[in-house]
Amino acid sequence: MNNNKPKILTANEASMIVESSVIKRRKKDARLKTYGRIAIGLAVSFLIFLFVSIFSKGIPGFFQYYVTLDVYLDRDRLDPKGDLSPESLYNGDARSIVLESLYKVINPKGRKEKKAAKKIISTNADVRISKMVLDDPNILGKTIPITFAVDDDIDSFLRGYIKRETPSSERRINDTVIKFVDKLSAENKISYKFSDYILTGSASRSPEIAGIKGAFIGSLLTLAVCFIIAFPLGVATAVYLEEFAPKNRITEIIEVNINNLAAVPSVVFGILGLAIFIGVFGMPRSIPLLGGMVLALMTLPTIIISSRAAIRAVPPSIKDAAYGIGASKLQTIFHHVLPLAMPGMLTGTIIGMAQALGETAPLLMIGMVAFIVDIPGGVTDPGTVLPVQIFMWADFAERMFIQKTSSAIIVLLVFLIFMNAAAVILRKKLERRW
Amino acid sequence: MVINSNINNVKTKTIGEIFSKDPKIICRHVDVFYGDKQAIKDVSIDISSREIISFIGPSGCGKSTFLRCLNRMNDTIDTCKVKGTILLDKDDIYDEKIDVVPLRAKIGMVFQKPNPFPKSIYENVAYGPRIHGLSSSKEELDFIVENSLKDSGLWQEVKDRLNSPGTGLSGGQQQRLCIARAIAVSPEIILMDEPCSALDPIATAKIEELINQLGKNYSIVIVTHSMQQAARISQRTAYFHLGELIEVGETKKIFTRPKDKQTEAYISGRIG
Repeated sequence: MNNNKPKILTANEASMIVESSVIKRRKKDARLKTYGRIAIGLAVSFLIFLFVSIFSKGIPGFFQYYVTLDVYLDRDRLDPKGDLSPESLYNGDARSIVLESLYKVINPKGRKEKKAAKKIISTNADVRISKMVLDDPNILGKTIPITFAVDDDIDSFLRGYIKRETPSSERRINDTVIKFVDKLSAENKISYKFSDYILTGSASRSPEIAGIKGAFIGSLLTLAVCFIIAFPLGVATAVYLEEFAPKNRITEIIEVNINNLAAVPSVVFGILGLAIFIGVFGMPRSIPLLGGMVLALMTLPTIIISSRAAIRAVPPSIKDAAYGIGASKLQTIFHHVLPLAMPGMLTGTIIGMAQALGETAPLLMIGMVAFIVDIPGGVTDPGTVLPVQIFMWADFAERMFIQKTSSAIIVLLVFLIFMNAAAVILRKKLERRW
Repeated sequence: MVINSNINNVKTKTIGEIFSKDPKIICRHVDVFYGDKQAIKDVSIDISSREIISFIGPSGCGKSTFLRCLNRMNDTIDTCKVKGTILLDKDDIYDEKIDVVPLRAKIGMVFQKPNPFPKSIYENVAYGPRIHGLSSSKEELDFIVENSLKDSGLWQEVKDRLNSPGTGLSGGQQQRLCIARAIAVSPEIILMDEPCSALDPIATAKIEELINQLGKNYSIVIVTHSMQQAARISQRTAYFHLGELIEVGETKKIFTRPKDKQTEAYISGRIG
């Protein structure tokens, strides 16, 4: 006989063994807790790093430097035809009027200096004057102070990105221009204020007048199309699969494939859209309608999966109650199942839409990366979307686009936060207890 | 449709009186399968008009399954198959031409767990009449709701808060609300699946009193685990065991002089 023979422990022995293992177990618990804290700490620090980096670059991007000039709005030169039509104003000589006002302040001498002075004010100055005249023709013939955005190089110089100490040959602006800018500063003509262009402007190669309005509207339209297509389709699919589909092989295959579709890289949906919508149906490129359709394909699996989960979470007792009282299948679904599942379905949908909002790759495939200055007025006007705009700006060489890119990212993040908040509020509001 | 000729000519192992003079529901040779598993084996029984009949038996004996056959609630379970004949007023309820919607309007059901809709008390009761189009005006609907709540003994307690959620009531009140919801569509038969198993003794007493009242106007089939409850409220009792209907008879006789040994064992508490 040896000691390994199985035996029943006395209560005393058992409690001693338990005691001795308790310390070990506690240590393990503590270790797990520490690992968890380290993981969360890392995640939070990355997040903080990301936010600090984006906001430190992006917030200045919402501001820019302006120069204020007293401009004499000469009626004959601004409006040669005299009918105040946009064409007439376009043909007018606003640019030289602006430059003349500038020359009055800085007194350039000779052709070379004048050429340098021309670089100070954004090319958009004449458009601004035309707009002002169109809004209020009474200002014609008067001398009024007008603020113009300065050129992006001057802006970078004023921010200190272009340094005075750098040799003139390696700077984007020469000594003459710097001299003029100093003079304007000395005369108190230069101001730093919230940008007119970032939120209301459209795409432009000149960073000082580039804005995200076009992309923002494009994103809204694209998301609207995406929602209108994906939500009803997704919910209908989920209802069919949960409530009507017979449990057989075909249903199973469909279910597996929907789950797999959720994991398909988004660029593949872009290729699909390119091949089917553009290739077969001949739809025009770069329009929000097409973008929305492609994104709808991408969001559908997410919506279907979350809607099915929401429908499955409806207590069977409620369905029993409805059937028991003689409600038909349709009545049971529409009166009881869908209202109870709606919060879950909406949450899933908004998460899907948030994904779609941030999506770039599939939209590149269908040409939404095109450089479009006009703000889209409808789903069939060419347009671009926020993430694609960010992608394009990040690619541009001009220094000022770095800040603008971060600003656009901030707008996109705020948009996303609003959508997620909407999801939370909707869920809270629609959620009912049973 | 009528299979009247041999309806009372049944070979069955069931002990006791399965027939009734005034049958509302006639079940003959009913088998129920869940997939390959047979849950109900060859059950034949009559249910009379205006009687309260209780189904008793140990857990898993098939009494709830059989109850759910009577209003075709088993249709909602994919794997469930019902064979045999169930006649309601001599119409086969499993006939292809029968629609379950009017059938379930005729045969109401109250479930084990109180399951009011997550809506107001008023809406809970008004839902049935509304979907079946039983009322043509708001006044009529109000009248139906009031009457049903009165019949279920809930009116006094909820008349001032008809618009508060039905889920906010106590368990017993919820169950009476479910009964009100069932009788709001004026059924002929009410099926109750252990209606008191989730309730405390006081709420149970109220429901039992209510069932006794309702028994004057409706046929009531009640599944219960409490033999005292069966003895208190039902006129007839049916004992199920392992999917078979072992014995049927007057409640008094079943509880005092059961003929079958299994019935006796269950009633005296030796199995169950």
